[in-house]
Amino acid sequence: MATKESGPEDIVRPLHNTSKWWYIAFGITAAISLVWLTIYGYQLEEGLVITALSDWGSGGGVTWGLYIGAFIWWVGIAHGGIILSAAVRLFGMTKYQPVARVAELLTIAALAMAGLYILVHMGRPDRVVTSVVPSYPWTVQSSPLAWDITVITLYFVMTATYLGLTLRYDAHRLRDQIPGYLSPLYRFITIGYTKKEDQIVERMVWWLALGIIIMAPLLLHGGVIPWLFSLMGSMPGWQGAVQGPQFLSIALTSAISGVIIISFLLRRAYDWEHIITEDVFRGLTMWLGLFSLLFVWLQLQQVINGVYAAGISSETVMMATITHPVYIIAIGIMAVVLAYIFAQAIRPGVFSIPRSLMASVLVLYATLTEKILFVVEGLQYPEFSLYAGVPGGYFPSIWEMSSVVGTIAMCTLIFLVIIKIFPVVELHAVEDHHDHDESGDHGDSSHDDSGDQGTAVATDGGATGLDLGIETAGTENERATADGQTEVTDK
Amino acid sequence: MSADDANDRQDEPRHPYETDESFHPLGKEWEEQMRDELEETDFDADLGMQMARDAQRLVAGEITEEEFYSSYHDDVEEEFDVDERPVFDDIENIDFDEATDESMLESLKDVDFENEDISRRKMMKKMGAGAAFLGYGAYATYENQNTDDAVPQDISGIRPAGEGDRDHRWGMVIDLERCDGCLACVTGCINENGTSTGANWMYVFTYEDEDTDQQNFLVRPCQHCSNAPCAKVCPVRARHTRENDGLVLTDYETCIGCRYCQVACPYGVNYFGWGEPDVPMEQIAHLEATPDEVQAMDPDERHDALRDVQDHVYDDRGRWVDSRPPQGVMGKCTMCPSRQDEHTPDHGPKGTVACMDACDEAGMSAIHFGDMDDPDSRPNRYLEHRKDVEESPGDKAERIAEEEEEDWADPPAPHHTTQLSTFKLLEDLNTQPNITYIGNEPGPEAEQVEGPVRYSSLSNDWGVEVVDNRKEHLDYGAQANRSNQEQEADD
Ligand code: SF4
Ligand code: SF4
Ligand code: SF4
Repeated sequence: MATKESGPEDIVRPLHNTSKWWYIAFGITAAISLVWLTIYGYQLEEGLVITALSDWGSGGGVTWGLYIGAFIWWVGIAHGGIILSAAVRLFGMTKYQPVARVAELLTIAALAMAGLYILVHMGRPDRVVTSVVPSYPWTVQSSPLAWDITVITLYFVMTATYLGLTLRYDAHRLRDQIPGYLSPLYRFITIGYTKKEDQIVERMVWWLALGIIIMAPLLLHGGVIPWLFSLMGSMPGWQGAVQGPQFLSIALTSAISGVIIISFLLRRAYDWEHIITEDVFRGLTMWLGLFSLLFVWLQLQQVINGVYAAGISSETVMMATITHPVYIIAIGIMAVVLAYIFAQAIRPGVFSIPRSLMASVLVLYATLTEKILFVVEGLQYPEFSLYAGVPGGYFPSIWEMSSVVGTIAMCTLIFLVIIKIFPVVELHAVEDHHDHDESGDHGDSSHDDSGDQGTAVATDGGATGLDLGIETAGTENERATADGQTEVTDK
Repeated sequence: MSADDANDRQDEPRHPYETDESFHPLGKEWEEQMRDELEETDFDADLGMQMARDAQRLVAGEITEEEFYSSYHDDVEEEFDVDERPVFDDIENIDFDEATDESMLESLKDVDFENEDISRRKMMKKMGAGAAFLGYGAYATYENQNTDDAVPQDISGIRPAGEGDRDHRWGMVIDLERCDGCLACVTGCINENGTSTGANWMYVFTYEDEDTDQQNFLVRPCQHCSNAPCAKVCPVRARHTRENDGLVLTDYETCIGCRYCQVACPYGVNYFGWGEPDVPMEQIAHLEATPDEVQAMDPDERHDALRDVQDHVYDDRGRWVDSRPPQGVMGKCTMCPSRQDEHTPDHGPKGTVACMDACDEAGMSAIHFGDMDDPDSRPNRYLEHRKDVEESPGDKAERIAEEEEEDWADPPAPHHTTQLSTFKLLEDLNTQPNITYIGNEPGPEAEQVEGPVRYSSLSNDWGVEVVDNRKEHLDYGAQANRSNQEQEADD
């Protein structure tokens, strides 16, 4: 496997071969999804009374809980995913090109789950269109939730465009290598395609990526989503300008973890060791470490500001947060993950892909629980605290918890289906790969042979610590060569 | 363009109304640009400019509407070659303060041009430029910070209209020193609105504070804030402020049940419809018509129809805002709009609310509801009266000095403001509550304690169980509440 050359036939393999594991996975995720949809039906029938939510105030509960926590968690994964993919394109981080489309697909699937959570959270989901649309021109001036709907839609459109544009390129070139029943679909998405459009598309994709990178901190997880909370004068636990950076760092940590997990599974399932190389995992692990560090750092900022001579309400909420077992576990996990990442940076031998996988799963667990706790603690310690029922109690009901399993299953299901329809590694990645090696202008020739974990690992690991694959210069050239190459491969 | 531009403009220092350079608040350049634009159309640019200038003077109140219309009527007739005068007949119905360029354009679109010689489109173009200009001027000089006045009829606003433009500003003066915690108001509200178990729209705290062992009370309806965060955040404008009288209401037909209003309200006065309401719709007096039908009715006809059946569901605009909310929708104290709109004159006349009636009946008269704009209203008169009877600092010091006969008790220079302690809840959050309390404000260490009367001991007309902590009820009783009611009442 170490010397295997990657090519288009690798990336279309999932379209042709379907193993029994795929059927098993499909069966399980479909079954879980169905069970959860039934539970959701039950909730529609009975009302939100089946949740553990209640009114805050004399009601003695919290009115937002797991659903909103999980919503921001999914949105975070989605936003982080698209930022990753945009960074790959914008900064020419070709090393990560094999996982760029995974990140994009993750964005789409995670956004879909986030959208679903909005519905699940709502008392009257049937009105989502009839109520939101007519008043939109006015609500968008005042309601952070309307801003939220706006950016989520905007990002869905941007990601889909982005994905669609790059898919056209691949679909056209791979049209002869796909199973016959997919031909009509491929013909449909390549309607009007000419080679001339490649350059234009390339440029469009670049601009889209730029737009995403610029807007991410302003509008996405660094802006609108935290504003949903941080602008509320009623809940001191949510306030503060730190929420923007905090949300963004959590989004990126979660998204990288998601990408690591999916890439790991794909690599396993389709023997893509030579495409999604160990080097890619090392790099992703380093990025994970960087953003985890940011996450923990921003937590520290909040804690110190909250407990050092802060106003009564912010001190109360911060004390409650840092003594909460869920919080302690989440931060403990982050500490363990960081310890691992530092250790492997210093001693490359510590690194292993399963360990990084483990770290990713833990990070996702930590970020999910942190999100839910953030929402709930905020509501439990309001500015006006005279109510005896405050802080109210909240522990998600079994129905609410099932939604996490349900949405993860659905997200996986979406992936399982997409794998069978489109190549989840873009053609550029396997093409660039050739190009990359041949031009050899990066002083980092370990891409293809990093599969053999011999001595190369030591030097390579050392390099990874610094060179995270950013190659800002030469992107244009590379694109040009890649295109030239394409003409050849295409034939 | 209007909304965003207008928002931007608010951030800038206000332009002087008119300078030597230019009449337009945006300055000379803008004015010239507008002139150029006008000149490109067939519209008489001089006339347009003059009209724009006067439109701004109109908005600023320097000339009257009559003056404005009369000076332009003939010019416009000539310019547009129309025999009738639909243009300004229609415009006369537009309240300039409420007009944006958009709504202005809308209304101009509806103008029916009889003259076939001028194509409608061409006319629109002429009118468009002129109207946009007018609208711009109106916006730029519109003093009220309130962009929201521009919302059309079928979308609700988030602020009460300005002092001169509204009929009332309903509010309360609540004398906490008269309250004895009998909870008569709580029962009165439940009887009036049929709220579900635990949804105590009217809630009375009994609390102990530092330095005193005595029991204090805080009577807490919705504060009907003039700058209501709950209305601001609602993504569908279901929660809104009735412009003509400042009532903060929820349109049960529009609410999507996102519970953002509940999160944003700092007072914890919202109660969600977690499940099926305890009091079925059939038991609540209402007009047998769908909300659409009610809204389509002619206003006078609607008023009479609603009055005939003593409707307790629709307000005078035909919105479903009164009585308990249905499942999946947010509810809270409404300040009894059916009474304020005179739909239930026999049972509760305008200017009264059920909780006040109950409090009066109980002989306490702690709640005084009325028009806070009107100096002769019950709450304002009560406040005056209380200020009068309260000892002034001078009097008090004198009395103390007499009693103690000590020099150190000599008063500081007496000032003549009253000693009466009044407050509004969390006033520094700038919600501008319309409830004024007489008495001591609960301090940061105040703690709610068991009151003289227990919520669970209350009975009401509907036979609905009353509890203090709604969460316990929702968790253990709500789904099966009908069968278990007696059992529940025991504990
Ligand atoms: S008290 Fe709360 S619910 Fe009532 S108007 Fe103010 S913010 Fe809205
Ligand atoms: S719960 Fe209803 S009224 Fe409240 S913010 Fe949401 S849609 Fe608006
Ligand atoms: S004003 Fe009306 S709705 Fe509000 S607490 Fe009193 S009775 Fe209830």
